[in-house]
Amino acid sequence: MTELQTASVAKPWEGLEGRDRHAACMIAAQAGDRSAFDILVAELSPLVWHVARSNGLDRTSAEDVVQTVWLALLRHLDRLSEPRALAGWLITTTRREAQRVSHRGAGQVELSSEVAEQLPTTDPSPEHEVLRDERDRQLWSAFHNLTQRCQELLRLTVLAGRAEYRAVAEALHMPHGSIGPTRGRCLNNLRALYHGDSGS
Amino acid sequence: MRTNHPDEELMTQVARLVNELDPMPAGLVERTQFAVAIDDIDDIDLEVARWADNRTLAGVRGGLPGTITFFVGDLTVMVNVTRTGERQRIDGWLVPAGAHGVEVRVADHGSSTTTADEGGRFVLTEVPRGTTQLLVRMHAEQSRTVVTPTVDL
Repeated sequence: MTELQTASVAKPWEGLEGRDRHAACMIAAQAGDRSAFDILVAELSPLVWHVARSNGLDRTSAEDVVQTVWLALLRHLDRLSEPRALAGWLITTTRREAQRVSHRGAGQVELSSEVAEQLPTTDPSPEHEVLRDERDRQLWSAFHNLTQRCQELLRLTVLAGRAEYRAVAEALHMPHGSIGPTRGRCLNNLRALYHGDSGS
Repeated sequence: MRTNHPDEELMTQVARLVNELDPMPAGLVERTQFAVAIDDIDDIDLEVARWADNRTLAGVRGGLPGTITFFVGDLTVMVNVTRTGERQRIDGWLVPAGAHGVEVRVADHGSSTTTADEGGRFVLTEVPRGTTQLLVRMHAEQSRTVVTPTVDL
């Protein structure tokens, strides 16, 4: 916790990557190392951001949710007994928080998560987007007409790199074998929306 | 990496659009790191407050002082921000009322503290502008502390 402790000694997460690195940071953060917590915030906030954006939040609300989720982790730090489960915890917490915020914002009645999964998100795009051409506009519009779960899966696939199905699957609590086919179905849905939109 | 598989081509386009059109906002990591850098965190039973109205908040983010509300559990905090030259004045009202401790942290500017009166009202003057976080210590005890996400005032 003190500055002295964090000074010269090599950090346990140095040289590690991905899940191993973040698990090492979690263990250090639980022992009071704030620099370890800051690394988690720096490296895993994009995950939280894209889950928030997939779950119906505009960019301003998503910014708040990113902070809320990390404050919640700070609060629950000692209660997360499995450091390798951090990404999954972040995803679950972000979804719950996003639901809470969007229900409040729209003044809607509570939706079951099953219904929410089928709802297309209402926010079509960021305000100041610059789209390269008409095809980009149509594809981006089609993307936002996908279900929230498809948007989430595709965004996380982008984040993780296309080969890392395992990490995405674990974070989404999906069986490893089903993520490829699920992604394929989401891409088929996207293709259908895209071509439907362009009127061809 | 080029591939002729149609799924991979579509995925590449999606990746480009997601990365170009909806990246995480600049400075969000730094604002979050500021929000979690709370002193004596080990002794605090932390509760995270939510801003009550995002549209009002968007107005505040646009640089216009105004009223914002946040809440957690049974606690509601209303805050009105008024510009006073380069600085600002913060008028607040806590419900349920009580002599709660209030701290306003501003990034790179330290913090200001006060205690609400019995009616739950508090005033902080000469508060610097910047990335701002509020902490409310219920009944002035460290043990139960409500924190907010930051807002740029």
